[in-house]
Amino acid sequence: MSTFLGWNGLHWLNVVAGLMALLVMTDAFVGHYRSGFPIKAQYAPFVVGSLVVGASVLTVIMPGQHWVLELLWSVGLLAVVAGLVGAGYHHYYGITSKPGGYGWLLHHLMYHAPPLAPLSLSGVGALAMVAAEGLLGGETLFGLRLQVVALVVVAVTLVGATLQATLLHYRGAFNNPLMYAPLTTPLLAAAAVPWLIATRGGVAATSVSVLLWATFLVGFVGLGMHLRGFDRMMGGLRLARPNVLEGPAMAAPALFTGFAAAGLAALHLL
Amino acid sequence: MTATNSSERRCEEPAEPAKSAHDVPERDGAVIMSARAAMRSLSFAAPLHPILVHYTIALTSASLLFEVLGRVLRQPGLSLTGWWTLALGVAATVLTLATGVASRMSLDIGEGTARSYLRLHMVLGPMFFGMLVATSIWRGILWSAEVTPGWWYLISLGATSGVMAVQGYAGGELVYRWGAEVEGVVRGLRQRQASTPAPRWPPAPTRSTRSTTQGTAS
Repeated sequence: MSTFLGWNGLHWLNVVAGLMALLVMTDAFVGHYRSGFPIKAQYAPFVVGSLVVGASVLTVIMPGQHWVLELLWSVGLLAVVAGLVGAGYHHYYGITSKPGGYGWLLHHLMYHAPPLAPLSLSGVGALAMVAAEGLLGGETLFGLRLQVVALVVVAVTLVGATLQATLLHYRGAFNNPLMYAPLTTPLLAAAAVPWLIATRGGVAATSVSVLLWATFLVGFVGLGMHLRGFDRMMGGLRLARPNVLEGPAMAAPALFTGFAAAGLAALHLL
Repeated sequence: MTATNSSERRCEEPAEPAKSAHDVPERDGAVIMSARAAMRSLSFAAPLHPILVHYTIALTSASLLFEVLGRVLRQPGLSLTGWWTLALGVAATVLTLATGVASRMSLDIGEGTARSYLRLHMVLGPMFFGMLVATSIWRGILWSAEVTPGWWYLISLGATSGVMAVQGYAGGELVYRWGAEVEGVVRGLRQRQASTPAPRWPPAPTRSTRSTTQGTAS
């Protein structure tokens, strides 16, 4: 197994999962704070996300401890389940229980609980599970090679993140051409992953690598553009609390970077 | 229409003469003559962002310089220095970004040309950081494999430095042209505040000196 700066791909997947749990919690906090935490279940992503971060840090500090890796595996599974349950909650409270229900689907999708956002926690959990399984000595997860599982997780979450970005950028009327960026390279990268898994060819591997690097950079461009988005509002970041609550999702573009980094680690280091 | 024109003019340059050099109060006090006075004059109120940004600029530029020299002179030691300065540059830039956001949150700035520069600065910051991180990962892979960077790497590091230059220029405009986070200005030279223009040298000949000169000649 190849290494980068002394760590193999599994260690890097663990680090990326821990960092991305922080990003997921950041955006979840903004959204749930905006709604005022009316439901106790809205605290769940912070409990589960903190557990993922804790288990990830423990894995970095004590990589050889069996119980730590078991903990990471279990916490990863919990995050997958929590993300799926969260998606159900967002669907029910964001669409079904709202006036008009499915008759006002597009309106609810744009202006209420983001329907796909909780699934990013599931993606983070799945990456943590892959890292834990590999560090425990396993070579497969659910009958598939770890590299394949990691790449599939990355591809699926990139598609989900792109769909969510499309909804919110549509709400923003694509007022800047760069708002089309998350609809381009991440989607192409996700589409290239099945090609790579099916053919295992050099061209496919190079294409996935280049597209994932582009997605990695697109995330940073998005971070800058979202900062600009806050600053287009009255007062800008000087009035941070109202503008961060009402502006673009603060950490969402970084998820593209994070999942692309996970994909690159899986591609080159596993 | 008139209001639009006046506001446009105000964006480019001040419409009316400033009371002081930049229309902000002079904060310059008496001349410091002792160590005790020097200690008393310290306020430690300088924002951190303009301090840290120099580390980012210096380390990234130095990395490019060392890498190019290492490649041209075929000196692996210089290339290695380029790698470590780049790694330190990434660490410094994390702090630079964080303090930049903090600076923006404390900056009271209205709509206008300066704020457009600020928005450009805010877009380019994370973009530059992403390029820096990507370049550093690339360099780290080369370092792990003990491979000397090729021209493609140098071109990408050059492009990263180019974005950094634009970013730094926008930040410099914000501070030095519009005084973002500047508390006061230094005391100007006396002749700048005088109502009469500063004396010229050599002095222009007056009528009396001219006639004296002509008389002497005749």
